[in-house]
Amino acid sequence: MTVEKPQLGELTYVRTWEAPRALVFECMTTPEHLTHFWGPTGVSTPIENITVDLRPGGAFTTVMVNDADGAEYPMRGVFVEVVVPERLTWTEADVEGGMTTSVTFNDLGDGRCQTVAYQSNVPEMYRTPESQAGMESSFDKMAAYLATL
Amino acid sequence: MGPDDPLSITFAALADPTRRAILARLAPGEATVNELAEPFDMSVQAVSKHLKVLERAGLITRGRDAQYRPCRFEAEPLEGAVHWIERHRQVWKERFDQLEHHLITIQRAQPSTNRQPSTNKEKQS
Repeated sequence: MTVEKPQLGELTYVRTWEAPRALVFECMTTPEHLTHFWGPTGVSTPIENITVDLRPGGAFTTVMVNDADGAEYPMRGVFVEVVVPERLTWTEADVEGGMTTSVTFNDLGDGRCQTVAYQSNVPEMYRTPESQAGMESSFDKMAAYLATL
Repeated sequence: MGPDDPLSITFAALADPTRRAILARLAPGEATVNELAEPFDMSVQAVSKHLKVLERAGLITRGRDAQYRPCRFEAEPLEGAVHWIERHRQVWKERFDQLEHHLITIQRAQPSTNRQPSTNKEKQS
């Protein structure tokens, strides 16, 4: 497992899987699979509330339920890019002013695959290479500083 | 996304290298505009412009001393920005930890069929 250094306001999460790309893609796009892993720790995702309409403009919705108190966290995503089995991009208009998530599935050619999950709600204008390059180093410093507070 | 939400204002303020350097200078302790202008080889006016942006983002506060108005670093908006990343990264980590277990389970159950699933044919390149 590799975790790339995040930029300020965006997140890149890289992971290598001991499984073929088609299978990992299938897991990420099939309610029967999603229900097993979509909710993070302590959160369930009942299959009856998962919708995967796998086409651009199609719905990608889940309702995650907190195991401890039953609180529900709905996700109302809309696919903007669907390239089987290479790439999935969806947007959530109602999250923090609009969040885009994309997952790229790279075939490593030996029965394994790598996924790169990218998530951002930062406007395009702040994501120039120049501002990112500068943010990266200062983010490290600031995160280190914040850790001491 | 509107440019007026707190996270956007924070990121916009942090997008400039001089403003980040000013914050780094203020992190250990407060400083006046003149003290800030010196190491950056900038005019007091130019530094003041940056300070206004930082102040609007809540990343600094200015003292009440009319003559010096010392600047103080405020960590709270930054914590919001850092928290956003940590929160989402944690979700992906836990989600993929669970997918890892799920993949092991289903590949054990059907070792022969998973290599060539009928629904998602991959192109040979």
